[in-house]
Amino acid sequence: MSEKILVVDDEEGIRLLYKEELGDEGLDVHLAASGEEALAKLEKDRFDLIVLDIKMPGMDGIEVLRRIKERWKNLPVILSTAYHHYKQEFGTWASDAYVVKSSDLKELKTTIKDILNTGRK
Amino acid sequence: MGYNILSKIIEFTDSEEPLEKRLENVGALLLNFFAFDQCAVYLLDREERKLNLAVAIGNKLGCQQEYNKDEGLPGLAMKHGKPIFATHSQPNKELWRGVFDQGALGFATVICCPVKDDIFYGILYLKSREKKSISPKKKKLLDVIALQLSTAIKNYECIINLTHTNTKMKDMQARLIHAEKLLALGEMAATLTHEIRNPLMSIGGFAKRLHQQLNPDSSQFMYANRIIKGVERLEKLMDGIVHFSKKDGCEFSTEDINNIIEDAALFFEDDFKRHNITVVRDVALNLPKIEADRQQLRLVFNNLMANAIQAMANGGTLTIQTRHKDNWIVTEVCDTGGGIDPKIMGNIFNPFYTTKETGTGLGLAITHTIITNHKGIIEVNNKMGVGVTFVIKLPVATICEQLAVNSEQLKK
Ligand SMILES: Nc1ncnc2c1ncn2[C@@H]1O[C@H](COP(=O)(O)OP(=O)(O)O)[C@@H](O)[C@H]1O
Ligand SMILES: [Mg+2]
Repeated sequence: MSEKILVVDDEEGIRLLYKEELGDEGLDVHLAASGEEALAKLEKDRFDLIVLDIKMPGMDGIEVLRRIKERWKNLPVILSTAYHHYKQEFGTWASDAYVVKSSDLKELKTTIKDILNTGRK
Repeated sequence: MGYNILSKIIEFTDSEEPLEKRLENVGALLLNFFAFDQCAVYLLDREERKLNLAVAIGNKLGCQQEYNKDEGLPGLAMKHGKPIFATHSQPNKELWRGVFDQGALGFATVICCPVKDDIFYGILYLKSREKKSISPKKKKLLDVIALQLSTAIKNYECIINLTHTNTKMKDMQARLIHAEKLLALGEMAATLTHEIRNPLMSIGGFAKRLHQQLNPDSSQFMYANRIIKGVERLEKLMDGIVHFSKKDGCEFSTEDINNIIEDAALFFEDDFKRHNITVVRDVALNLPKIEADRQQLRLVFNNLMANAIQAMANGGTLTIQTRHKDNWIVTEVCDTGGGIDPKIMGNIFNPFYTTKETGTGLGLAITHTIITNHKGIIEVNNKMGVGVTFVIKLPVATICEQLAVNSEQLKK
């Protein structure tokens, strides 16, 4: 059974890229275009991991992260964003990992694997 | 007569003319009035150590250029704060009132009058070759004139100080504007990188997928490869720009300088080739580590190498040297791009100073800030017509930590 992950990003191109790339890694990739949609999906379904963009119109990633950690304390979340400096501000706080957006998805993929592996142990 | 000269003196001292001209006018009037041979005005310098000749009127023979503050009759008058009226029966003697004054040699009667109010400004020095007697009335008049002169000098100094303060304020204002611009630029850079990074990620990500699916012999494979390389380049640029906007502290870790430099050199590999630049590495192996923010130091070498490449657009040699000296890791980035005009040397580290049409003038300003944040030193060795060497000294890790501890203790 493949792990179920939810990717939250407001850009369609990026959602599609994640779906294909992470799908190739054998993951069951689900998508949400906003924080609100992500929370709605989480209510209905069980996921193994969330990849969350920080800067989104409407509810931003930080707010989504806060709500997720309130309700699903053990659900791993990877923050993904274009800003380096969020890494300092939020990196060690609440989220499980922090990845800077890049066309090279290697870092994201290894981070996902690491987190899923530790969860399995 | 007395009132006549006074009104003239007031007219002269209060005029709009430069101080020197006013002093000259007053001196000439005095010379005439007292029928002396020489009139000189000495002003105390800023350090209050010397009396310098400001103006001399009449026969200037034997007029000394300067006095130390305890030298001769001017020194004596300054010390006592009172005018000296002296007559010498043997004009060839140099000793007056027990002090040696070469400037008085050959004169029979001299008047050495301090120009002061609460503050001492200088000396009015009148000399006559013939013996003269000075009436108490004239002595009184001289007092008034000296006071009037002091007012003129004081006003003048006020204006000079005002101008000085004004220039300083303008300078400060300019700096503030620079700082503000830098901040605005940082914010813009942060927004821009976000807006650019997202579409870049799609472009590059899908180009990679295409690349994987294409036949390596096809031209499409090559096209996709070009897109991937281009995107990688832009993403690296974004990495650099985002640090403009980093407002607070660095993220320090233990780093190897050679490794950081190698990263930076790799980034410019294509440019070196394109501009016919030979890169010579003269790096010391097994250097002690430094405490550094890797991203920021990358930016330092990016900036220095970018400048070197721009200076050597038609080819040259870039020499990168690292060594361990005392408690410093010394890095030299040396180009053969013709050097910097000494006239602009003082400006190159100023934000927004650029001689390039499309320059930002931020490279060296940011470099300087980063090196300072690392408790390091940056120096420029400029050989006009040959090239520039930027020398960067960074403390080896252990001292750096020590410094951090020290500054913590200082705060307490
Ligand atoms: N290696 C170099 N050779 C010659 N001139 C240099 C070099 N590095 C810097 N300069 C001078 O210093 C100025 C400021 O440099 P910098 O702050 O990097 O801004 P920019 O490169 O955008 O002009 C440059 O415009 C140039 O005149
Ligand atoms: Mg530059």
